[in-house]
Amino acid sequence: MTDQPIQNCGKCGLCLSVCPVYQVLKQEQASPRARLQLIKAFEKKDLSASPLLKDLVSRCLMCGACKVACPSGINHYAKFMEMRRKMAKSQPDPPAIRSLVYLLAKEYRLRMGAGLARIGRRLTPGALEKKYKIGTIPVSRFPEMNRRSFRSTLPRVAFAKDSPGGHCRDNPRGRVVYFTGCATNFLFADTGQATVNILTRLGYEVVIPDGQTCCGIPMMFHGARDQAVENMAVNLTAIQEAMRENSGNTTENAKDAAAENCDAMDKACDEAAKHCDAVIVDCTTCGAALKDEYPALMNTLDPSRNKALAHQIALAQKTTPGMPDTIAAKTRDILSFLHDHMDDLAAAMKPTTPKHKVIYHAPCHSKNSFNSLAKVLDLLKALPCFDYIPVPDEAACCGGGGTFFYEYPDISRKMMAKKLISARAAGADFWLTDCPVCRINLHGSLSEKDNLTVVHPVTLISKGLGS
Amino acid sequence: MISPDLKKQFLSIVDPTRWLDQKEQLFCYAYDAFVEESMPDAVIFPETTDEVSQILALASAHKIPVTGRGAGTSVCGAPVPLHHGLVICFSQMDRIIEINTKDRYIIVEPGVVNADVQAALAPYGFFFPPDPGSMNSSTIGGNIAQNAGGPRCLKYGVTLDYILGLEVVLASGKVITFGSKNIKDVTGYKLAALFCGSEGTLGLVTKAILKVVPLPETVKTIMATFKDLDDTAKAVTDIIGSGILPAAMELMDRLTLNAIEDKAGLGLDREAAGTLLIEVDGVAEACDKQIKQITEKLHASHAVNIQEAGSAEDRERLWTARRSAYGVFAKLAPDIISEDVTVPVSRVPEMVRRIVQIADKYKLRVGVLAHAGDGNMHPMIPADKSNAQEWERVLAAFDEIFQAAADLDGTLSGEHGIGLAKSKYLPLVMNQDTIDFMKTIKQAVDPDGILNPGKFV
Ligand SMILES: Cc1cc2nc3c(=O)[nH]c(=O)nc-3n(C[C@H](O)[C@H](O)[C@H](O)COP(=O)(O)OP(=O)(O)OC[C@H]3O[C@@H](n4cnc5c(N)ncnc54)[C@H](O)[C@@H]3O)c2cc1C
Repeated sequence: MTDQPIQNCGKCGLCLSVCPVYQVLKQEQASPRARLQLIKAFEKKDLSASPLLKDLVSRCLMCGACKVACPSGINHYAKFMEMRRKMAKSQPDPPAIRSLVYLLAKEYRLRMGAGLARIGRRLTPGALEKKYKIGTIPVSRFPEMNRRSFRSTLPRVAFAKDSPGGHCRDNPRGRVVYFTGCATNFLFADTGQATVNILTRLGYEVVIPDGQTCCGIPMMFHGARDQAVENMAVNLTAIQEAMRENSGNTTENAKDAAAENCDAMDKACDEAAKHCDAVIVDCTTCGAALKDEYPALMNTLDPSRNKALAHQIALAQKTTPGMPDTIAAKTRDILSFLHDHMDDLAAAMKPTTPKHKVIYHAPCHSKNSFNSLAKVLDLLKALPCFDYIPVPDEAACCGGGGTFFYEYPDISRKMMAKKLISARAAGADFWLTDCPVCRINLHGSLSEKDNLTVVHPVTLISKGLGS
Repeated sequence: MISPDLKKQFLSIVDPTRWLDQKEQLFCYAYDAFVEESMPDAVIFPETTDEVSQILALASAHKIPVTGRGAGTSVCGAPVPLHHGLVICFSQMDRIIEINTKDRYIIVEPGVVNADVQAALAPYGFFFPPDPGSMNSSTIGGNIAQNAGGPRCLKYGVTLDYILGLEVVLASGKVITFGSKNIKDVTGYKLAALFCGSEGTLGLVTKAILKVVPLPETVKTIMATFKDLDDTAKAVTDIIGSGILPAAMELMDRLTLNAIEDKAGLGLDREAAGTLLIEVDGVAEACDKQIKQITEKLHASHAVNIQEAGSAEDRERLWTARRSAYGVFAKLAPDIISEDVTVPVSRVPEMVRRIVQIADKYKLRVGVLAHAGDGNMHPMIPADKSNAQEWERVLAAFDEIFQAAADLDGTLSGEHGIGLAKSKYLPLVMNQDTIDFMKTIKQAVDPDGILNPGKFV
């Protein structure tokens, strides 16, 4: 991973053309180039932390488009995250954001929060719901919480179903670990059910890690690195154990190994990983955490990747030093993974499968972290369940950006405005997107009059396959 | 400095969201893509000609220095407000006013980005030929003020060749318009030539009528690699010298090509000492014939490998990679200076040799990149400005490079302009009377010297 010091920004200004925030505001201080210059000034102590500096650095969706485009190989993403962390103490986030981070930091808090939200929702009069907005979105257009958390409705292991190629429960095509993320678990059970159905119908055995928690990206973006590290440790451990479950290797073996030395532990982990074909995510932001941010976070804890030190950290956190890399290498977004199986999926759908008119919205991390746009479009064109209608700005940012739509509603609204026009003109029935925040934002920006349902593409693929 | 009272007056012209004067914000207007920086006292974003006129009248009355800015992609420090004062940033004055391909023109405000002009014209089957490497970010106002060029200017000419008319606000706040919607127009002085390339020192452009041309029916791109940089440069001279005129002809040396390949991973030949990227366009038959002629010449110059881009996507990938050249160089060291010396095309091989010799002499790395077909060289030297001793060598090397260009009947800049970077070299290519003549014009148009002070006039 390239990560140059900021001095190497040649200030060429190419990033201005790909930054969705600059494109709306058209003022240099809202550009990635400017944010780098500000960070540099801060590091050289020419500027000190201030509410304005915090605002200028935070006025960013963390979409990563600048990082992908940058010819100088600058990892803007990491720089911005680090800067947010450095300013978190002296320039705290507003209370609503801090509560969110607090909530996401622990699974039990989220569970409680979700329950309370359901009750709150029932008690809120409809008129108020329509009137009040969170950021750009009327409360009435926020998704309902899942009745029960998605993971609690499923067994830990979903076995392969009878599928082409003779795969079945006892002879699976392979084994995958499915990291569900919070959104699927608490908000969008439909995505989770569809994902598991498709994977098992393809002949995969799906293991859902116990004890997984928020991927930690929201904490990282809001400067709460310590919480992010805790969540990382919890998730790595959970995924690792799920992988071992797949391999038939018991957790105890590895714990024994852990006690011995870190090489043995790494080895046990590699061994387990061999029996896992992929770690699947349905949300590319969680995916970006597993694939890019965990190894990077591990590096910041241990810049030199000094093995002994890493081992210490790892033991304390019950993960092995090589673990982030092993998991990163296995992490696949569900749509790219399904792209590998496009022919099988198409064959498994009946020619009579109803075709749904769909348009697509590409989430930033799908484009910028997983580079999946071309693959998704392939799927939408190839599978009989879709009648895909291209819209010109399908890859343009919707302005959701985690909590961006809440923090900067005016900018967010402008980003969405153009998209809404072309989406409405397309005459589709479904607006597909593979990011829960984009889904909330797209749905929230549409009104009841729009006959456009926003779902994850897997929902329709799963329907096309039947259960 | 801008007093609170004066600030109030500026704020009676624009609303407060279009006025910046906090230190954090001003930091962001102190730079372009060049190495020197200097902070303004305030930044203002006009949306109409009338606002620009009022702003300049007020600035004039108080003798506040005013520096125009588009996207800040200049590589010579042109939009850096050396004397502080006010930066007028045109990025929000960005409407396309009229597209009229029947009469072959487009009318735009200065903040429209070059690529947006191309995108607006494409559905009509037209384009605006100037294509600076920065075209996805840089503005038409900046392109005009710098008389920007780009790869395909070899065949099509530069920005000045496409200006039919301009609206310009003078330092006094007076608004002048000249030229027209007509392809031919010899009514009075050709004032476009005065303002185009003036780097914002004579007036600020608020509207432009630009000539547009039909997109060619066919475009073909080939890439040729050489074992020897000298052979590469000779091939350029050979092809152009024999009367073949491709749309574009770009030269890259090994250092440049490797820097690009590191980023783009296109499978370019890392061993090649020199590479030419050549594009022809026109009717299909003519393209085929040109490609054949060019291929013969390339073989005669010992090209080791000649490949044609298979599809439009392949072509776009090659050009995207080429456009990233400046940025990828930034990776090699904390700072980068990219120069722009230009020589008659027959002197290209000699100039390339001298650049390499000079860099060797000063123990510097140099990347040679050139819009070679029109003799426009971009020697790029990555170095560390904080290393005083090394930086001295860089400056000395550039002294010699400019001298070499002058010796070969060349000039200081083919497209990047003079800005802060090269004003001291003007005497190499201009006598004192000529420099004084420019000063006379400046004096007449901007008697208080408020427009972009500290630059080449
Ligand atoms: C990666 C890269 C590649 C480049 N490639 C090329 C290339 O191939 N060819 C080329 O010619 N240049 C190239 N450039 C240089 C630069 O992009 C051009 O000079 C461009 O025209 C500058 O446009 P801008 O909008 O960024 O203007 P700025 O940099 O903001 O300003 C440039 C000058 O224009 C003045 N100005 C801006 N707007 C106005 C206005 N409305 N009225 C009057 N004056 C104004 C400013 O005061 C300043 O003097 C490149 C730069 C980079 C970073």
